[in-house]
Amino acid sequence: MRARLPCLLLIFLAIAASGATAHAASVRGEIVTLLSPNSAGGMMTRYARMIAPYIARHAGARDVRVRIMTGGGGIRGANALWFAEPDGRTIAFTSVTTLILSQLAGSEAVRFDATRFVYLGRAATEPRVLTVGAGSGITSVHDARTLGRPFVFPSQGTDEDFYSMAVLADVMGIPLKVISGYDGNADTALAVIKGDGDGHITGWSASQAVIEAGDEVPVLTLGPERYPDYPDVPTALELVDGASLEAVQAIVNMLDMRRGFFGPPDLDPEATAELRTAISAALDDPQLVADSVAQGLPLLPSPGEAEQIKITQITEASQHLVPMLRAALEAIR
Amino acid sequence: MLEAIVAGLAALATPQAVVFMLVGVSYGLVIGILPGLGGIVALALLLPFTYGHELAATLALLLGAHIATIWGGSVTSILFKVPGAAKSLALVFDGHPMTRQGHAARALGASATAALMGGLMGAVFLAFTIPIVRPVMLALGPSEYLMMALWGLTIIATFSEGSLLKGLVATCLGIMVAFVGMDPVSGTPRFWFGNVYLLDGISFPVAMIGLFAVAEMMTLYVKGGAMVDRVGGEQRSTVLDGVKDAFRHWGLVLRSSLLGLWVGVLPGVGASVGGIAAYAQAAQTSPTPERFGKGAVEGVIAPDATLGANEGGGLMPTLAFGIPGGESMAILLVAFLAMGIVPGPRMLTSELDLVFSMVWIVVIANLLTALIGLAISSRLARLPALNPNVMIPLVLSVCLLGAFATRGLIEDVVVAAAFGVVGYLMNKYQYSRANFVIGMVLAEMIERNLHISLGLYGEFFLFTRPITTAMLAFIVVTTALPFVRRYRRSRAMAAGNGS
Repeated sequence: MRARLPCLLLIFLAIAASGATAHAASVRGEIVTLLSPNSAGGMMTRYARMIAPYIARHAGARDVRVRIMTGGGGIRGANALWFAEPDGRTIAFTSVTTLILSQLAGSEAVRFDATRFVYLGRAATEPRVLTVGAGSGITSVHDARTLGRPFVFPSQGTDEDFYSMAVLADVMGIPLKVISGYDGNADTALAVIKGDGDGHITGWSASQAVIEAGDEVPVLTLGPERYPDYPDVPTALELVDGASLEAVQAIVNMLDMRRGFFGPPDLDPEATAELRTAISAALDDPQLVADSVAQGLPLLPSPGEAEQIKITQITEASQHLVPMLRAALEAIR
Repeated sequence: MLEAIVAGLAALATPQAVVFMLVGVSYGLVIGILPGLGGIVALALLLPFTYGHELAATLALLLGAHIATIWGGSVTSILFKVPGAAKSLALVFDGHPMTRQGHAARALGASATAALMGGLMGAVFLAFTIPIVRPVMLALGPSEYLMMALWGLTIIATFSEGSLLKGLVATCLGIMVAFVGMDPVSGTPRFWFGNVYLLDGISFPVAMIGLFAVAEMMTLYVKGGAMVDRVGGEQRSTVLDGVKDAFRHWGLVLRSSLLGLWVGVLPGVGASVGGIAAYAQAAQTSPTPERFGKGAVEGVIAPDATLGANEGGGLMPTLAFGIPGGESMAILLVAFLAMGIVPGPRMLTSELDLVFSMVWIVVIANLLTALIGLAISSRLARLPALNPNVMIPLVLSVCLLGAFATRGLIEDVVVAAAFGVVGYLMNKYQYSRANFVIGMVLAEMIERNLHISLGLYGEFFLFTRPITTAMLAFIVVTTALPFVRRYRRSRAMAAGNGS
C-alpha cells in the first residue's frame, strides 16, 4: 500500500498537469481548423486559403487547415463554431455582416449569438455604395426622398444590402418599394440601368465599370469615410444625427467588418491573444501582401480588438435596428 | 477593326498561349465529364495558377477550360444518362435512348459538331453585335424571362406520352423539391424541418445524379446484362453520321444557336433553362414530334448548339456593361481584374484587341474540343457496353464522389442515393423523370420572375408589355402546333381510310 501511494500521487499530479496544459490553450504546434462557411470556389474561401499558411507561420501552429462548411448562407458554419471548444483550435472566416444581420433579423436557423463570438481580426473590407440609374433623374439622397413616389430598390433577397437599404430608408425618410427576388448583382444592376429600379447597393469595385460608363451614379457611401475616388459622394453618417446616427453607425460597422476571423464564445484568453497577434502579423507579411495583389484579393486589415469594439456598438444599437430589420422583412413577405 | 481582329489572333500565336489552350481544353473535358462538376468549378480551381503569365495565354487557359466543360457534360448525359452539369440535362432525353439503340457514336458526333457550330456562331455574334446588343438587353426584363421559363415548361407534354396526369404529377413533385430551402424572394425557409442542410435546398446536380445515374445503375443491376445489349458495343452508325446529321439540320442549329446567344446575353436566365428551351423548340417545330424522347438526333443537336452558343452570349453583359452575366463570368471577372483589365464598354474601344483575342479563343477552343471529341467518340461509345460488374461500381463511385464534390457535404451523397431510389421507382412505374427535373429547374425561375414582374409592372403585365405579349402568343402557337398537326394527320388518315 505504501509503495502504491507515491505512484498514485504521481499519476494524480500527471493528470493535473496535463489538465492544466489543456486549459492554458495555445495554438503553438497545434493544427488549427479554419472554417469557411462559403463555397469552395468563392471569394471568401479564396481569401481563407490565401491567408491560412501565413497565420500558421506567425502563430507557430503546425498547420491551419481550411475546412469548407457551406449551408444556410454561412449559418451552418457559424452554428458549428458556436458549439466548438474555445481552445483556439477551431476558428472561422466569413462575412461577419451576414451573420450579424441573420441573427438580428430573427433567422430561424441561427443557433449563435454573433455578438458573443470573439473577433480576431479583419482581413479586408470595401465600402458599399448606393448607386442610382443615370436616367432616373436622381442625383442625391434628397432627390430620392422627394420623388413623390416610392424609391424602387431591386434586391437579391434578404442580404446585407437589402437590410442596409431598409435602415437607410427608415432613418432618412425615403419611401421605399423593395422588389426582391433578383438573381445576383448583375441582375439588379441591369434593372437599375434599364430603369426598372431606381437604385441598388453594391461594392465599390463591382460598381466601378458601370459608374465610369455613365450608366449609374453614386449618391451615398456606406463606409466610415468618403471614398477617395469619389470625394463628392457623402457618407450615410454625414446625413443623419441622434438615434438615427446610432443605427447607421451600427450598419456601417457591420459592413466594415465584412471579411473577418472570429472564434467561439469565451475563447481562451491566451489563444485569443496569440491568434490576434498572428493574424495581424500575417496580414502585414510582405509576401502575403504581394500574393494578395497578384491574386486580385486586396487586403485592408483591422486588429481583432478594434473589431470587438464595433461589435459592442452594434449590440448597443440593436434595439433600434431590430424593429427596422424585422419590419423590412415583413414588408416583402 | 480588321487590325484588332489580326492583333487578337497574333496574341494567341505564342508558345505559352498554345500550350495553355491545349491544357485548358483537355482539363475542361475531364472536369466536364465528372458529374457534379462544371465550368464554375473548373475556373475556380484554375484561378490560383493564372497569375504572372501572358494575358492572352491566361485567357486561353480559363476560357478554353470553360468551353470544353460543356461538351464533357454532354458525353456522360448521352452515354450513361448522367448529366455532367445542370445545363447538360436536355442531352439525356434523346442522347441516352440513342446510346441504347446502338447509336452512341452518332449521338456523340452530332453533339460535338452541333456544339462547335453553336460555338462558332456565338463567337461571330460576339464579334459583330456588341454595338447593337445593349438596346436588346435593355428591352428585355423579368416578364420576358418568365415567358422563357414558361416556354420550357411546355415541353412536359412531350414526356407525358401515355398519361398526362402522371407527367403532371412528376412535374409537381419536381416543383415541390425545388421549393425546399430559402425562397428566393423573402428568404423564408420552406420545408426545412429545422435542418440547416435543407436551408440551401436540394442541390440540382446532386438530385440529377441520383435520379438518373444512381437509378440507372439500380435498374441495370436488377435487370442484369450490359447497358447496351450489343456484342462488344457494336455500333449501328458512326461518328461521321452524327457530323452529317448536324449539317443536315443546319436550320435547327441556327435557331438553337440564336436561342443560346439570347439566353447567354440575359443575366438571370440560366444555361440549364436554355438547354430545355432549345429542346422544346426542336420538338415543337419538328414535323415528327412523337420521335422526341425516343432517340431523335435533333434532341441532341438543339441543346448542344444552344450550349455552345451560350458562351459567346454570356461574355456580352460582362463586356457591354462590366457586370458578369453568371457565376463563371464572375470568376472570369476576378481574373480580368487581377490582370488589370476593367471590363465595361470601354473595352470596345481601348481593349478591342483583347475582345477579339477572346473571340478567337472561343473559336479555337470550340474547334479543339470538337476535334478531340470527334477523335475519341468512337472509343467512348463502347463504354456503355462494359460488363455491368465493372460499370456499376465504377459509375456509382464516380457519381457519388461527384455528389460530394459539388458542395463538399456528405449529406449530398445521402440525398443522391435517396433520389436514386426515387428515380428507380419513377422509372418502374412510368413517371417521367425528365418532367421531374424540368419542374425542378424552372420552378425557381418562374417564381422569381413572376414575383418581380408583378411588383414592377402590375397584375396585367402580360398585356402591357408588348414583347411579353408577343412571346406569350408564340408559346401558345408553338404549344398548339404539335396538337394541330396530330389532328390534321388523324383527319387525313381518316379521310384516306374513308376513300
